[in-house]
Amino acid sequence: MQVPLRPESEAGTGVTSGERARAMIEIASVSKRFETSGRKSHLALSDIKLTVDDGAFVSILGPSGCGKSTLLYIVGGFVAPSEGVARMKGAAITGPGPDRGPVFQEFALFPWKTVLGNVMYGLRQQGVKRTEAEAQSLHLIEMVGLKGFEHFYPKELSGGMKQRVAIARTLAYRPSVLLMDEPFGALDAHTRTRLQNDLLNIWERDRKTVLFVTHSVEEAVFLSDKVVVMTRAPGRIKEIVDIDLPRPRVRAELLLDSHYQKYVVDIEGMIDDGRDDAGHS
Amino acid sequence: MTSARSIVVKLSPLLACLGLLAVWQVAALWLDTESFPTAWHALQTVPQVLGDPEQLLNILDSIRRMVIGFSLAVVISIPLGLAMGRSARVSAFFNPLLMMIYPVPKAALMPIIMLWLGVGDASKTLVIFLGVSLPVIYHSFQGAKAVEEKMLWSGAAMGLSGLQRMIRIVLPAALPEILTGCRTGLVLALITMVTSEMIARQSGAGNILFNAMDMAQYDTVFAMIIIIGALGIVLDAAFDKLRWRLVKWAEPHQEILLGAS
Repeated sequence: MQVPLRPESEAGTGVTSGERARAMIEIASVSKRFETSGRKSHLALSDIKLTVDDGAFVSILGPSGCGKSTLLYIVGGFVAPSEGVARMKGAAITGPGPDRGPVFQEFALFPWKTVLGNVMYGLRQQGVKRTEAEAQSLHLIEMVGLKGFEHFYPKELSGGMKQRVAIARTLAYRPSVLLMDEPFGALDAHTRTRLQNDLLNIWERDRKTVLFVTHSVEEAVFLSDKVVVMTRAPGRIKEIVDIDLPRPRVRAELLLDSHYQKYVVDIEGMIDDGRDDAGHS
Repeated sequence: MTSARSIVVKLSPLLACLGLLAVWQVAALWLDTESFPTAWHALQTVPQVLGDPEQLLNILDSIRRMVIGFSLAVVISIPLGLAMGRSARVSAFFNPLLMMIYPVPKAALMPIIMLWLGVGDASKTLVIFLGVSLPVIYHSFQGAKAVEEKMLWSGAAMGLSGLQRMIRIVLPAALPEILTGCRTGLVLALITMVTSEMIARQSGAGNILFNAMDMAQYDTVFAMIIIIGALGIVLDAAFDKLRWRLVKWAEPHQEILLGAS
């Protein structure tokens, strides 16, 4: 059968041009097996299929050891899948690139660079002139609430401030997708709440695609358009929940909202916390 | 911190030196043997040794060899150590080799090296090079191995290539550890410098020292010990200042305040 008027590149993919334009990330039957000692192997991810739309805030939620971070690293190009393929704007992901900006739980700042030096780093790498990179970075530093700390070194900052720097550093080189790996996992509850609010404010301004890994149900529901619930090892997608709550979201209102509460309770029920509940991955 | 206390902190190395000299003085007076001159006598001999052009040239020769040996070792050992720290293959190749060389006193190789390269500069510089290399390789290796994976990933996401990550992330991140190795290397350079000249008795500070020993010129012997010791202290202090400037971002907060005061 002939399919006229269809560009060749799209023939046979089963994706219409409308769908393709919206799909930013496509994870097609990805599995990941880790070799462990004694010729055994550990299946971390099994047959993951997921599409992330352009501009969507998607959280991956699951118990520790469900491979949710591994999935994020595969999209980042830091880890190669054992089977299947991850695509970014239709092209197979073969390695890291500035179109996908990671933010890690461990901050991973460059300790020999000041706050400004860290935020500027990616821009300078992309050949942006120093004065221009500096101006843009100063603006970002102000946006994440660190005005006045431009010339501090990372070790002089608190955990929350470090993560603000890390977020600014990644936003600076304008990735199409933010890959956030339990970014607030190492912070105390109060700081965590403040950073969630600030992240949401920043995100609601430019609606970048975000893939957000967390083990906190409240955090996932509060931030996301879509929550992907995963099962324990081997990591499989158990359910994908669309979070239909109006934006901009205000925490104080949301906490009293019965829809929000129902999402939290429902999703908590989906997670098989299993026998052990030992910390986070 | 009161200023009086900070003055004491700053002067403490000097006070320690003076204390040591005082103990030496008392011990020498008490023992009263010819082979143990007093501190005061040895100190008086220092300007005599340094004032003699031939002796001074000898000492400068030593320093030149030490600087060349140390610099070569650092330039070669840092990249090697970093490569070993980041690549399992490079490490698997060099590790057994280095483990064999490690316990051998480098001065013990001196006779063989002299056989090949003669008693001149080349063999002495080579021994210094060997003495400095191992701690610098080891610390560079440890430093590179400890670099956080996520830091490298962050760099990769910004578009840094493998080599760029090595030079612009692994090197600065490992720098505090590398410089610790270099500091150890500097002291070892001084030690191997003296021992190499003690074995190949042709020129240098070690040569003066052991010639004086043979001729029972004990005040010259002790003056040379003071000179070599002072050289070590000055080099170490200068290097530590340089190290502090390069890696003040890694020092605990309090030390920065202390250093800035």
